[in-house]
Amino acid sequence: MSETVHRWMEQYPELGSGPISTEPYISPEWYEREKEKIFHKVWLCVGRENELPKVGDYKVKRLAAADTSVIIVRAKDGKIRAFHNACAHRGNTVITETGEETYGGSKAAIMTCRFHGWVYDAEGQLKQVPSEQRFYDCFSKEKNGLTPVHLDTWQGFLFVNVAEQPETTLAEFLGEYANHFNGFPFDELDFGFTYYTYVDCNWKVAHDAFAEAYHVDTIHAGSFPNVFSTGLQNVKLMGPHRTCAVCLTLGAKPTPVSGIANGLAGASLVSQRGESMLPPAINPDKRDDFAFELSVLFPNTLLHISEGIWFTHQFWPIAHNKTLWEGRYYVKAPTTHSQRWAIEHAMTLQRNAWLEDTATMEDTQRAMQSRAKVEQHLQDDEILIRHGAVVVDQFVNA
Amino acid sequence: MTNKSLPPEFADLAPFLDWALATADERYAYRRNASRAELKAFYDAILPRTEAILALVDQYPLGALPEELHPLYHLVLSLAEVAPHIELYGGAPGVPYAFDETRFVATHGAQDTALGLSPTAA
Ligand code: FES
Ligand SMILES: [Fe+2]
Repeated sequence: MSETVHRWMEQYPELGSGPISTEPYISPEWYEREKEKIFHKVWLCVGRENELPKVGDYKVKRLAAADTSVIIVRAKDGKIRAFHNACAHRGNTVITETGEETYGGSKAAIMTCRFHGWVYDAEGQLKQVPSEQRFYDCFSKEKNGLTPVHLDTWQGFLFVNVAEQPETTLAEFLGEYANHFNGFPFDELDFGFTYYTYVDCNWKVAHDAFAEAYHVDTIHAGSFPNVFSTGLQNVKLMGPHRTCAVCLTLGAKPTPVSGIANGLAGASLVSQRGESMLPPAINPDKRDDFAFELSVLFPNTLLHISEGIWFTHQFWPIAHNKTLWEGRYYVKAPTTHSQRWAIEHAMTLQRNAWLEDTATMEDTQRAMQSRAKVEQHLQDDEILIRHGAVVVDQFVNA
Repeated sequence: MTNKSLPPEFADLAPFLDWALATADERYAYRRNASRAELKAFYDAILPRTEAILALVDQYPLGALPEELHPLYHLVLSLAEVAPHIELYGGAPGVPYAFDETRFVATHGAQDTALGLSPTAA
């Protein structure tokens, strides 16, 4: 295996090697164009099918960058559909939102607008209008259902596309990315923890901070001190998406509590494991130092998979310098109290590592906004960031 | 306040019962506000008993832990929260060089961990 110091540039020369402008991270006008050309146009990952197990279960997800909120609901026919959360009467939200994500359910699979009580079913039909006779002849219930949003699924993930007519199907959009991850047991590893926060930074600052392993030895010197980055392997760019293997060498011996926890559940990124549940395209050379696959599902979802664990980061733009970050961590459901304890320990360590990751973001944004530096320099192992910048540029200038 | 108590074989851990906290949010807040000395004393007391505690709670199916064992299980869950601070952060009560911890929201944070529920259960 040849490993030159510039091997990713040699593999993907079309990305170039020059500095990258910081303007897209700090410009409100650029952000407006990203909203229009990206978030209003492409497929966005908004959850998992198993979050809505029963007929009538719904989730409302705010999509500030697409200027809407979507209701994702399981109807009586078992199908999940998506609609804008907007009432046909006078435009109120049909489901009252309590935050970025609002979960609920209705056994009858109906949704009632709080304002004047219009009732919709989970297929989006308007079923009931109080005092309907007082509306005029030109009004018809048939024409005033909820406005649908395109929804499709892949490997149990729910995607929406708010474009009236998406330019691609979800399968076309995912392309080779889907093949790369097909077969990983996402559904079996469904014991999921969610953390979120608002960070005063551009969504790409947040993306970039997580899309490299160059920072492991510095930023994670606290939480993962015995872990040293051995760099990226198997970088693969697939249309707007990208993936790589993050390889880490582990220190010889775990700390006392980690030692106990690792013996109980392979729930931590820094515990050792045997058999493989990874799809064939992941860690194809079966490297011992493989830690996890780090991928970016364009535009705003980072998906990581490893043995017995998978986790995501999502960066939801709120403004050009404000981002909702969501981190989700999934393992196999524990069967004993001691496994549950070991998972708590793994999650705590991961949360602390995420606290380390997010620590730089607001500082980066502030410094970029000073315009003291108007470009940034990327080394070869920061290729996912370079690819991200190139792809965003292509979309915005399309 | 309910009276927290421990099984006789763990009665010596009674001075640490303030750490017997049901939820991840309570445990993290207590750890953040503890002194270095409190963290260290708690860690030193619980670590040697961890395997015995886990063996005891494992005599019951997940989610069916008898009420009187909840404080003991909550104690060992606090050890999971505290351990990195002693083992990795030089005894500091906060995560060093980190984002403001109070701004991180855990959606499962108010759930009683001893119930063995999915973190997404309401
Ligand atoms: S706005 Fe929904 S019923 Fe009036
Ligand atoms: Fe990191």
